[in-house]
Amino acid sequence: LDNLSENIQELLAQALQLPIEQIPLDLAFGDIPQWDSMGHMEVMMILEERYGVEINADTISALTSIPIIYEYLQKRSDNI
Amino acid sequence: MSIYKSEATIFSGASMLEETAFIIIQIKPVVPIPSHLTAEIQSKLAYVDESIHRVQVAQDQIIIEVNTVDQPFDNDFQTLLVEKVQKVVVSMVKGAIQPKIQFLEDHLDRAVPGNEDPMVELLRRGEISKEDTGLFCIGPLLTSLIAYFERQFLDLADSFQAVPYRFPTLIPARYLERVNYFRSFPHSLTFATHLREDLDVIDSFSQHACCNSQGDLFAPADSFAPIKALLSPAVCYHLYFALADKALQGGELVATAVGNCFRYEAINLVSLERLWNFTMREIIFVGSKDFVLDNREVARQRMARLLEKIGMAYRVESANDPFFIGEFRKQAAFQSAFQLKFEIRARLPFKNSTLAVGSYNYHQDFFGRNLDITLPDGSPAHTGCVAFGLERIAFAFLAQFGLDPSHWPLESLER
Repeated sequence: LDNLSENIQELLAQALQLPIEQIPLDLAFGDIPQWDSMGHMEVMMILEERYGVEINADTISALTSIPIIYEYLQKRSDNI
Repeated sequence: MSIYKSEATIFSGASMLEETAFIIIQIKPVVPIPSHLTAEIQSKLAYVDESIHRVQVAQDQIIIEVNTVDQPFDNDFQTLLVEKVQKVVVSMVKGAIQPKIQFLEDHLDRAVPGNEDPMVELLRRGEISKEDTGLFCIGPLLTSLIAYFERQFLDLADSFQAVPYRFPTLIPARYLERVNYFRSFPHSLTFATHLREDLDVIDSFSQHACCNSQGDLFAPADSFAPIKALLSPAVCYHLYFALADKALQGGELVATAVGNCFRYEAINLVSLERLWNFTMREIIFVGSKDFVLDNREVARQRMARLLEKIGMAYRVESANDPFFIGEFRKQAAFQSAFQLKFEIRARLPFKNSTLAVGSYNYHQDFFGRNLDITLPDGSPAHTGCVAFGLERIAFAFLAQFGLDPSHWPLESLER
């Protein structure tokens, strides 16, 4: 488990107000009641706050699972 | 901020002349309002204070007309009012997310003969009469036009073998609570109650209940029972509650129903464009994601053929529901990003504007999860609906084609 994975897990736990143990690494939007539309927007806002991810229609509809968020953030850091 | 006082004479309703004193307040918003939010903020400012009579919002200016008959206007009141207005602006603008506007059909430029506001002539002829704000009695002309559109929508429903349902006008409060309606749309709720089952209470009410000149009902304190039901804001909710807490037989369902809907919109309730009590025909899809999305798209294509046959000028564009201030930013952005809602917006030539006359909606598995409607594999059902506002589509049609049925392009309408 690398740092980025842990950070995303922790981010999801905060956004969805759940213990980190309840955030599996393959978690996706809709898998649990907390990750609903409002939960998803909480996730987006914390992504914006911590990683500067711009919240727009494309990122809202794309970043819908931990693996996708991981890949997105990884690519961004590679490009910096 | 600048303030100036004015006196005016306005017409209220069809024939009542009323002397009304008002003050106009011009407010510079503390943050500039993006153009995509001006209409949303204008509609929300209607709920800021009961004294607000009219609101106009531009990107750099808000004009509020305050009725001073019932509300004495002093500095304290003015300060409080401006603070409330700015609070709404900030909460809706701060961090606002630009919606992704998508047009699925665009026939707004289609030539139509009408260019008059139908309300004037409808009222003059007695084809409609205003009972109160947002409440209209509809006469034979519009009734026959609505019946025509109803037949088209029923044909559309038949093309999906939709099963018919009838739902009550009232909806239990606990149902709406279960789908977070109170949090999302508190401003538009309409409540139902009755007198307490107590002989003394009923007797006292019968002797003392009366309405004042504004039509407000006054009754002895404690006359009314606790609120257990509301007037229903939508048709399809009833179906979802009927399916709640069990597996969906066969894994998919198409249903149709027409019903009275109630959404209170304060000073935004104008003409037949925006009624407190209106009628909606819905075709409702419940099943897998693909089942719902595929049928929603087929419904749109079939509806496009009907609108083309009639020759209506309209556009189908992405939209969001009118969430209240606290929920608006997140919910509207989510709806927009996932393209959950598209509206049929008919042109109103007399005001160079459009009016939503129908919508194509996808709720993902929101109702399936919240109401425990499950598919055969145990996953939550997805839902969607296509909905048509009957009074609105008839109104838009009259705005585009006029009031003379001999000029209407409706072959099968009984005249």
